[in-house]
Amino acid sequence: MAETILTIESVSKRFGATQALNNVSFNVEKSEVIGLAGENGSGKSTLIKILCGVHQADSGTVVFMGKAHAPESPSQAERAGISVFHQEIPICYNMSVAENVFLGNRMPVKRGMPDKKFMVLETKRLFRELLDEPIDATKLMRNCSVAERQMALLVRALRKSATLVILDEPTTALAPGEVQKLITIIRGLKNKSITFIFISHMMDELIEISDKVTVLRDGKVVGEFLRGGYNRDELASSIAGKTLDADKKKIRKLSDKIAIEVSNYRLDEQAEPINIAIKSGEIFGVAGLAGSGRSDIVRSLFGAPPAYDGQVKLYGEDISIKCPQDAIQQSIGYLPEDRKTMGLFYAQDVKFNLGIANLDQWIENGVVNLRKLKRLSEKFVGMFNIKMAGISSKITSLSGGNQQKILLSRWLAIQPKVLLMNEPTRGVDIGAKQEIKEIIRQMALEGVTFMIASAEIEELIALSDRILVMNTRAPNCILAGKEMTKEKIVEASA
Amino acid sequence: MTKQAKAEKRSLRLAFGGRDVGVLVANILIAIVFSFLAGGYFSSYTLLLLLRQTSEVGIIAMAMTILIVCGEFDLSVGAIYAVVGIITGLLFQNFGVNLFLSATAAMVLALFLGYLNGLLITKTGMHSFIGTLATMMVFRGIAMVSTGGRPVSSLPKMPFFTIFGEGMIFDIIPVPILWLLAMCVFLFFILHKTSFGVKVFATGDNREAAELAGIDTITIKRYCFMLTAFSAGIVAFTSIGFLRTATPTQGQGLELEAIAAAVIGGTSMMGGVGSIFGSFLGALIMAQVRTGLVLMGTDAFVQDALVGLVIALAVIINVQLSKKNSV
Repeated sequence: MAETILTIESVSKRFGATQALNNVSFNVEKSEVIGLAGENGSGKSTLIKILCGVHQADSGTVVFMGKAHAPESPSQAERAGISVFHQEIPICYNMSVAENVFLGNRMPVKRGMPDKKFMVLETKRLFRELLDEPIDATKLMRNCSVAERQMALLVRALRKSATLVILDEPTTALAPGEVQKLITIIRGLKNKSITFIFISHMMDELIEISDKVTVLRDGKVVGEFLRGGYNRDELASSIAGKTLDADKKKIRKLSDKIAIEVSNYRLDEQAEPINIAIKSGEIFGVAGLAGSGRSDIVRSLFGAPPAYDGQVKLYGEDISIKCPQDAIQQSIGYLPEDRKTMGLFYAQDVKFNLGIANLDQWIENGVVNLRKLKRLSEKFVGMFNIKMAGISSKITSLSGGNQQKILLSRWLAIQPKVLLMNEPTRGVDIGAKQEIKEIIRQMALEGVTFMIASAEIEELIALSDRILVMNTRAPNCILAGKEMTKEKIVEASA
Repeated sequence: MTKQAKAEKRSLRLAFGGRDVGVLVANILIAIVFSFLAGGYFSSYTLLLLLRQTSEVGIIAMAMTILIVCGEFDLSVGAIYAVVGIITGLLFQNFGVNLFLSATAAMVLALFLGYLNGLLITKTGMHSFIGTLATMMVFRGIAMVSTGGRPVSSLPKMPFFTIFGEGMIFDIIPVPILWLLAMCVFLFFILHKTSFGVKVFATGDNREAAELAGIDTITIKRYCFMLTAFSAGIVAFTSIGFLRTATPTQGQGLELEAIAAAVIGGTSMMGGVGSIFGSFLGALIMAQVRTGLVLMGTDAFVQDALVGLVIALAVIINVQLSKKNSV
């Protein structure tokens, strides 16, 4: 029997009217990888914040390495040996990898100056021993990839003798290849007696990496799945709390009208030309690895920025799109891949965020008409079942999934002929994912043409009528119907 | 009332001037404190005096608010104010140009200087602080060189001066107060009631998202710089109208007072947050503290220090308030 390193015993936590955690208990064994799953608002983050000292539990006990664990600050938790990795990586971008690894109260010093040479050598050694990875330790953090930054943080935590590492959605910003590498690294460290709690919305990752997946819902533990003893659907319905309809796939009969046609379309000077014709009401997927041009082709059709050259026809008419204004003029919308940096207006309320792309619907002769904006917002809020206090709540008070639905509404409000999308369900929970897919299907039936770039292959297969696979900035093939399988897409991408 | 309706009402209050109420309450509290400390403070005379004192900083602070909301600010505004006064006076006195024409020419120049600021910042992407610090020095230089550093003074009594500065309505209300109120209404309309205002908020809140929502943020920023320069021109007219003198050194420090007033009024230097009424009240707080201290007979040197303390205090309270609101 393995040694128990962390025991969580009937922990509860309440914020005002919300019972964030309700009698949560589970154990973590030494050198185990625990997957923690649950929708947004299920209590995952609250639990993590209690473990790392941001919040304190109202009742219940936590025992870590045989001692009661009730840290009052993150640094106290870190001293006890628990390290947490959040989605935003706290690093100094203008310092080298080595300096970041040694950042803290006690940097190695030689004659009163930081000992850079020692730090570089030591960092290289740590990378080799702990991660089995080479690294250029003198490289500035700003020039590193996300994966390298994560590794540097991991090394920093392990150097401070962390024994339990909590990874909060570490893979959202990583390319597929990098995800595999991270998984390999976690496996390697597991053999060096490091224990992990791994949080992710991606079920395949959870299944692949976890020895045990613990599912939280509404602040309670609702399921524990041991490796090998469950299938994907069981896990999914446990997370969502209801049986999700498996993505039923029908081959639809599409109209013969061509909505958007691009010819001799080149992303840059060297790129091979792309020729595609997308039918009216079609959902057209674009797959490919990061950097394959997958998201560039979608972005460029919105003019942000435009492609190198090529012709675009919208319902038979030549159009020229140089910037987003041109695209919107032609009733083309674009849902960007990063909600936080490219989509939301943080200081503003829900209705502002919803109405910003179609000002002419609620601004008459240059003057704001709030009643019209409210009516417009309420229409979409009702239609898409968006949960919030009201349309005048701050956008930040909404969950990720509901924020995404607001952004989707922003573009549907312009009554688009074509809606371009980049990662439409990134960072939203399973339930909201399902709802967003449903909205896309519904709108496609009503004649909106979709072009969707996504890294989530299953999602593309479930949604798309056809899928274009991009490979090194060139179109590789277009798959349709039964040909759209994960294997074929992966094969065509690599 | 149901919980949801309550939350709805609360968020409405927050979205439309929750912070303004805070600044208003602060104004009233300060007025009450000074009524006890300084004899004769609580009177209609003091109110008019306060508004008269607020007019210059207030007009610029309100225009600057729009600029700050769009994500920039302008340190050259005091220098533009000097240029407009000097050019108006020079054209009229030394070249014999009709006064209204001189003023129009000076205003066109102000708009051009504002445009230059906008061009510099949006083309090079440099920070407002550096860009407008540089143009502040250049514009101040223009004002100094055009008169050799001497003031343009002893201008005759003219209707133009009466309209902008000297006039009294009902023999009691100085016209600059009217200009202050008119600009308040005008700028409030621009920022809070027009599509331009909506775009200004979007630009300052998240520039990339604004671009992707089809907003030409470069143009928006340029217009905001021009609007600030325009307000500096209006203030220059009220000043030259009242004093019938223009000095090339006038308006030094005006830019910082205007930014301070905006910040006291709840405008966020990060962009995307601010209100015209709030900045108006912010300028009023600064004027109240100054006037109250004078009436109490406080040393002039102590006054500046205390105004500084008020700014710090106001911002601390604002940060606390906005923290509370965002939860």
